[in-house]
Formats: sequence, C-alpha cells, structure tokens
Amino acid sequence: MTGIELAFRLARRELRAGLKGFRVLIACLTLGVAAIAGVGSLSEAVLAGLKADARMLLGGDIALHLHNRSATGKEKAYLRERAAAVSHAVEMRAMAYPLAGQGQRTLVELKGVDEAYPLAGSVLLRPPLSLAEALARDGQSWGAAVDANLLAKLALRLGDEVRVGDARLVLRATIAAEPDRIAGVFSLGPRILVGADALAATGLLLPGSQSHHYSRVRLAPGENAGAWIEDLNRAFPRAGWRIRGVDDAAPGVRRFIERMTLFLTFVGLTALLVGGIGIGNAVKSYLDGKTATIATLKCLGAPAQLVVGIYQLQILAMSLAGIGLGLVLGAGAPALGLWLAAAQLPVTPRIGLYPGALAVAAGFGVLTAFAFALWPLGRARETPATSLFRDLVAPAQIRPRFAVMAATAAAILALTALTVLTATDRAFAYWFVGGTIATMLVLRGGAALLTVAAARWAHRGGAVMRLVLTNIHRPGTPAPSLVLSIGTGLAVLVAVALIEANLNRLIGDRLPATAPAFFFIDIQPHQVPAFDRAVTSVAGTSGFKRVPSLRGRVVGIAGVAVEEAEIAAHAQWAVRGDRALTYAARPPRESLIVEGEWWPADYSGPPLISLDAGIAGGFGVGIGDRLTLNVLGREIEASIANLREIDWRSPRFDFAIIFAPGTLEQAPQTHIATVESPPEAEEAVEKAVADKFSNISIVRVREVLQTAARLLAGIGAAVRAAAAFTLLSGALVLGGIAAAGRRRRVHDAVICKVLGATRRQLLKAYVLEYGLVGLATGLIAVTVGTAIAWAVVVHAMRTEWIFLPAVAAAAATGAIAVTMIAGFAGTWRVLGEKAARHLRNE
Amino acid sequence: MLTNGDRNGPDVRLDGVHLNLIGEAGEVNILRGIDLRIDGGETVAVAGPSGSGKTSMLMVIAGLETPTSGVVETVGVDLGRLNEDQLAIFRRRHIGIVFQDFHLVPTMTAVENVALPLEFAGSGEAFGRARQELAAVGLGHRLGHYPGQLSGGEQQRVAMARAFVAEPTILLADEPTGNLDGATGRAVLDVLFAVHKRLNTTLILVTHQPEVADRCARVVHLTDGRIAGDRQRRSRP
Repeated sequence: MTGIELAFRLARRELRAGLKGFRVLIACLTLGVAAIAGVGSLSEAVLAGLKADARMLLGGDIALHLHNRSATGKEKAYLRERAAAVSHAVEMRAMAYPLAGQGQRTLVELKGVDEAYPLAGSVLLRPPLSLAEALARDGQSWGAAVDANLLAKLALRLGDEVRVGDARLVLRATIAAEPDRIAGVFSLGPRILVGADALAATGLLLPGSQSHHYSRVRLAPGENAGAWIEDLNRAFPRAGWRIRGVDDAAPGVRRFIERMTLFLTFVGLTALLVGGIGIGNAVKSYLDGKTATIATLKCLGAPAQLVVGIYQLQILAMSLAGIGLGLVLGAGAPALGLWLAAAQLPVTPRIGLYPGALAVAAGFGVLTAFAFALWPLGRARETPATSLFRDLVAPAQIRPRFAVMAATAAAILALTALTVLTATDRAFAYWFVGGTIATMLVLRGGAALLTVAAARWAHRGGAVMRLVLTNIHRPGTPAPSLVLSIGTGLAVLVAVALIEANLNRLIGDRLPATAPAFFFIDIQPHQVPAFDRAVTSVAGTSGFKRVPSLRGRVVGIAGVAVEEAEIAAHAQWAVRGDRALTYAARPPRESLIVEGEWWPADYSGPPLISLDAGIAGGFGVGIGDRLTLNVLGREIEASIANLREIDWRSPRFDFAIIFAPGTLEQAPQTHIATVESPPEAEEAVEKAVADKFSNISIVRVREVLQTAARLLAGIGAAVRAAAAFTLLSGALVLGGIAAAGRRRRVHDAVICKVLGATRRQLLKAYVLEYGLVGLATGLIAVTVGTAIAWAVVVHAMRTEWIFLPAVAAAAATGAIAVTMIAGFAGTWRVLGEKAARHLRNE
Repeated sequence: MLTNGDRNGPDVRLDGVHLNLIGEAGEVNILRGIDLRIDGGETVAVAGPSGSGKTSMLMVIAGLETPTSGVVETVGVDLGRLNEDQLAIFRRRHIGIVFQDFHLVPTMTAVENVALPLEFAGSGEAFGRARQELAAVGLGHRLGHYPGQLSGGEQQRVAMARAFVAEPTILLADEPTGNLDGATGRAVLDVLFAVHKRLNTTLILVTHQPEVADRCARVVHLTDGRIAGDRQRRSRP
C-alpha cells in the first residue's frame, strides 16, 4: 500500500468521529466564499441583463447623442437612407404647471418622441393604451404619458391637464416601463413623454436651450455596426455626436456596477481573510486535540510525512466542503437579489450560473485555506511526540520546515496576485492589499502590547484579576486571534460608517449651507433684465449670479486634431462630447488664476480663453497655445490667456473654458443663474420666476441633495451589509476560539470551584477578561478604521474630514458587546458545570 | 451560617446514600446505600476495585456531587441544604482535596496556585501562607515555577500545599500517589500524614494500593457501590 493510500485510509477512519472539530473551518470558508461568489455572480447577472437588454436600453442598434442641437436635415437624410429605421427624440428639463392649479409647479424631465419610437422594446402604459393613442392631439391639448409620481406631486389625476411652456398637455396614462430609461438612475424630476409635435408646441426648444437630441438607428439585418459607424464618421467628421453601440449601451451603469463589485468583493475578501484566522485556529485546535493520536502514531513508527498526510487530507476535504457550500450559496445570489431588490437594480439580472465568478471565489477560498492551514500543519509535522504533551504551557519554539514556510508565503503571494489580477482597478487593488496588511500588522501589534501589559500586571492583582490577566497572556492565549479577527471586521465597519457619516454631513449639512438654493436653466437672452429683477427683488435672496451658457467641443489642441492628440487619462473627459462654455469680462470669484493674466474688462480682439489648469496639463498646453472649439458648427481658434485652479467639488458652477468678450456674444445661447435664499423665501423665489417665465427650469438644490442623500443611503446600506459579513466572520472566529478553549476553561472553573470560588467570582473573571479584550480591540479598531476613513475622505474624495465620536463610540461599544456575547456563548455553560464529572479517575 | 460546621459530632455522616448517574449506556448505580461515620482526626483509607464508587463517595463528602437519595452531613453541615455557591464557601472553609492528576491551574505559578483558596476567601495573607506551605513541602525554591516546569512529584506537592493552606477540617485525597513512582509516592504520603498530625485533620484517602491503605487507622472497603468491609487497624502513620 502506498503512503498516500494509507494516509487516505487513516484520514477516512479519523473522520468517522464527525465534523465536530471542523465546523468553524467550514463555516468561515463558506461565509467568505459565499460573499465573494455572491457579489461576483450578482454583478455578472446584472451585467448579463445589461447586455441582454442592450438594444432596448440603447433604443436601437446605434444611438447618436447631440447637445443643444438636433440633427441637421442633411444628417437626418443620411440616417434615413443608410438605416432600416430611424427614431428621433429630444430630452430636456422643463416646468409643468397644472392648468387648474393654484400656483403649483414642478420640474420635469420632458421627452418628445417621433412616431417610430421606440425602435426596440415597448412603452408600457397604464391604462394599457398604445403610445400613439396616449400622445395623440385632441383639439387644444396634446396627449402625454407621465411618471406616476408626477400625479402625486401635483395632486392630479389622469385626464387632468398641465401646461408646459406654451403647450397644454392632457395626462392620459402613467408609464409602467420606458425601454430606454434605466431604473434607479438619478433624475431631477418625473418624466413627461409627449409627441415631437407637442414638444415643438411648448416653444421651449430654442437655439441654445439645454437639450439632448437622440437619433436611434436600426440597422438592416447583417449590417456591421462598426463599419456603419465608421461610414457615418467619414460622412460627418465634425458633427460632434456621441455614438454608442449595443456593447456600450449604458456605460455609466456599467462603470457603477464594476465599481460596486470591486468594492464589495474586497469587503468579502476581508471577511474571508478574517475567516482565515478562524481556519488557522480551527486547524491548530483540531491538531492539539489529536496530540495523543499523533504521538501514538509516531511512537508506532508512522513517518512524519504520513502523519501530515493524514491530517492534510482531512483538512483539504473539509476546506473543499466549505468552499463548495459557499459556491452553492453564492451562485444563488442573483436569484436572491432579484427577489429582494428587483426595484433597486438598474436592469433585471439574468438568473444563471456564472462559472467565472464562482472560479474566482473558489480560488480565493483555496488560497486562504492554504495560507492559514499550512503553518499549524507544518508545526505538527516537526513536533516530536514528547514535547507535544507540554506545548500549551511552555510551547517549544518550533517552526515549520522551510518548504512549509515557502508554501505559505507562496499562497499569500498568490492571494495578492489573484486580488490584483481580478480587480477592474489595479491601483485600488494595491491600496486594498497594502491597507489590509497594514491593518493586520497594527492589530497584531496592538494584541502583542495587550499581552505584554497583561503579563506585566498578571501577578499583582487578586485571584480573579490574575485569572483574567493570565488568560490574556498565557502561552497559547486566544487574545491575538480575538483582536485580529474582531478588530479587522470592526475596523472595516468603522471606516465604512465614518466615510458614510462624512458624506452624509457633506450632503446633509455642509452643501446645503454653502450651495445656492436654486439653479435656473434656459433663461433666454431677451428675458435677462426682467429675470434679474424678478429674482433679486424677493426679500432675503443674496449671492445672485448669472452667466451665459453655450455648448462647444474641443476639436483641435495646438493645431492637432483631437483624435490624434495625446491626452492624459485625467483630461479625457474634456474632449468627450460637448462641454459647457461661457464668456466673461471679469474673472470668476471662485477660481484662482495660477498662470497668465486675465484680459482687460473691455477686451476686444482675437479670441482668448481662460482654461482649467488640470485640463491644460492633460492636454500638454500652456499660455499662448491654441485650442480649436466647435461651437454650434462654427470652428473658433482661441489662444490660452490664463490658467485657473477650479474646485470642482464646489456646489457653485464654474466653467473649464471661459472666452474673453467679443467672440460668443452673437452665438445662440441661454443663461443660467444661481441665487441663495433662506428656506422660508424659496417658495417666493420660485413663484416670482414661474409666474413670469414658464420656459425657465427651476432646480431646487435642496430637493436634489435630498435625492442624492437617498441614493447614497441605498448604497451605504449595501456596503454596510457587506461589511457586517466581516464582523460575522469575526464572531465565528471568536465562537471557534471560545469552543476550542472550552475544555481548558471548564478545567480552570472546576478547580476554582473545588478551591471555593463562587459562580459570581468566576462570572466576574469572564466579564473582565472579555471586556478587557473587547475594549482593547475596540480602541485599536476605531483607530485603524478612523485612519482608513480619514485617508479615503481626505485623499480619495478630497473633501473635508470631520471625526464623529458617536460613530467611534458606538463601534467600540459594539466590539465589547460582540466579544462578550460570542465569548459567553462558548463559556456560559462552564459556570454550571458539575465538578465531579471532570475530577474522577475511574 | 449554614456553612460554619460543627465538630462535636462525627466529621462525616453518610446515611443511606444512593448515587445514580445517567451515562451513555443508561442509568448507572454508582453508590447503593452507603452508611458511614468518620470521626474527627481519623485516618481512613477507602479501598476497592476500579468502578466500585470510591471517588464518587469522596465527591459526595466534598459536596461536589449531589446524592440521588440519602443524607450527607460533613462537619455537622447537611450538604443537601446548600446551594452551589454555599457549597463552594463550605469547601473553602472545611475541605482540602488532592487529586491523582494534581489539577493545578497551568497558567499560574506554584505560589499562585497555592494562594488561590485563601484569595477566594478574601484573605490578605494568601501569599505569605502559600510560601510557608510550599516551604513546608520542600518547594520553597520553586515558588515562581509553572506546573509545566515541575516534575510529577513536585506538582503533587504543590497540590497538597494548596489543599492544606486553608487548614481544612477534612482532607480528601484521591489516589494521591497513583501517578508517582514508589519513592516519590512515599515522600508525598509522609507529607500528607505529617500535616494530618499537625492540624488534627481528618484524612480520607482513596487508594487501591495496600501499602498506602496500611498507613491509615481504618480501612473501608467498597465493592459495587456498597461497603463490603470496615475494619480498624492499629494506627502507624
């Protein structure tokens, strides 16, 4: 019989005793692997849903998007000729006023569609009318389909009428499904869907109005989308439309999902690593329990390799069981996600098995098991039978042989490599790996300090205190494992809670304090004097600011076409489609001129621009260099006169490109404005504008921030739930430690009882022990978590940091509570143990 | 106080004591009607084959095991009337126990182990007394050693010092020399009997070694949970 066969046979015999020693190992692996597999599977399912619905989300095979202008007649003719079908739609913001209302109004997202709409999917209405029926004209009024919350907001019913611009709209149906709109995406107001003629009748679509023009195209069967787009670009090289195909149907959503997946995977990985401590402890305590067997086997002539083989096989089998169970649970995540949060998901996830996500999770599971189990196994191999008996009191300083240490190091390296290679953002992955190592080192160092302090004071207190302190510092003490496992989970939770609390403060307190009360959009040039008067005459308003706004696109950098220019990644956004432009005689108050000079207020000469310093760096241009801009079809070449440092996090508007006077005044344009107002004056401001200018869209900043806060709360809940997994994993480890140490505790408790200790005295000892370890863990975890949160808030999000003691205190209290509860769960019964059972020799 | 005790009567009185325990194979009758009186200052060996109930009887006398029926009076205290904590306090005052397996707390040094009973009782001189007792058993030079750093005989002497330190009325020893070689075992017994003499402690020791039983004035023989013999010997401690 070969060694491996014998090892198999003996391992099987040992496993007859059941899974008792392996429960924590299995649970830790199951939890961690399930978290990673679950996040991965759900993400793949959502992305698969995105892919499957791509045509519908895009509204056709190809979507073309223009800012502030519709396709020209020539462009439209080309599309008609080259595509199987074309649909045009316009989206813009507008104000809706109930016809029979008394001063009510709301900002809406207005969408005008042609008869071909939608080319893919279908609009579902309630009552079930066809779109044509719902949008048809009836005398003076145009039909409209609306989001149900518009009815609630304006206290309207179907059949009632609203006025948008100059058009009367009768609300015929509510929208149950709009194929090219992604659920849960940030919007400023409810949708109103109307026909193209109705949109024209509103009179809102003026030159320069803030509007989005979409042309969706269905290709002839067999037509290649890539080639079609190339043809289009050749025919209209300067049209400036943003072109998306079905493989890029919802890039924002895709980016968001990838980002969330990465973050949640890291949280799951942290849970798995915390579980790794449990795995190491479980293996160690299992092997400790097998000391007599190992010694006997060795005495009977079993070579060390065979002994290791027997236990390696058992641990491998149990690890695979844990990983398998985790994969099964994780694979069910898409179904669970669909069942729990269908409404919050941007698209319907495609239920299915995602082998890629499961393989990654299994890889993390196997490597974690290896990294944490090899060391205790290696020690068992090296330990001579004689010293096994005294290991707990005076641990022989035994290290595993070099091969085992090298294998452990290789497993850790492989874990790091897998983390980095499977991450969609490498830099983030490196930060995660570094942060994890640093966190674990700090926690381990803290634990070492705790045991050293306990050792120092152990022999000074009374019996109870001595029991406590010797338990913390004795050889084989569980304190370092406790601090590390609970501490890691808690540090993650503290960091998440503090980051979220900081963001909430930013959105809830700081932004409302510094942001204007209103944004006004689409002010027509001829309305400017009357508008200015209307707003500034309301008592209480201040900080009024109004600037002209146009859209333009950078098409050339220092004489080189944008397509051929080298542009740094951080500045790519500036050439991706149209950007907002303005012109000004004086520099904006908010931004700082870092290079060059502002032009004289009465400047009139060749075109000059002021450029954001960051963009200039990304473009590789400086003062005197030229940028070519396409403004509504007209190309303007302008010299850079100065560079500005812009704080893009400020809630006030600023422009990356500002023209000197004399260039853009005659171009079609609208104005945008902001004003500050105390909350009690907001209604008066809105009324003053709405009564006179029905075309001007009014954005209440407070409401927008509330919507943002709601979105943030949803994301925060998901992240907190994931972080709770880490803590749960820590609690499992703690439970395992308590269970493993139970025999020792029963022994200690029985001896103490025999010697006259009351239950109260023993209880006091346990409370003190777990309380002390919990307090130390809480303090270290709060420190580490706060450091992580600070780094993220200050360096990654570049916003102001506020320490919130309540969050930290809650976390520290939580640590003590979790430590005590999980510790007691394993120890409580000890108090009631009958001594006699443990004392007989017979 | 329920736990104070009274030494006017016998130190141990067992009347019709039955002890049934539920094991994996069902209910087992460990003690089947024990009637026994032991007076103050006696030395009693409890002998008998394995499984005859020797250790269980010791546990019943110490209040570590509650009999299924019958009366247990130790130092005049009816143990059946005490709750768990009162029993702990009772032991603290009147009972010292020495085990075959020593049962020292492995994380505490020798002197800390010995001081424990006095510390539990709130005595301020715990460590001074512990040092004296350890010196008395010949371990004055091993005060700071952990159990793992002591030999079997030394560990048993620490366990004895711990049992004596509170000057108990009754000293119970369960196979105190069972894990020791002959010479070490004899030395341990010498210490045990010396203390008995010094403190007039009632000494009850479980053994199945005839030479150990021979050192006691009285030998009680247990067989199958019953007293099969009870004979007085001439004392020669």
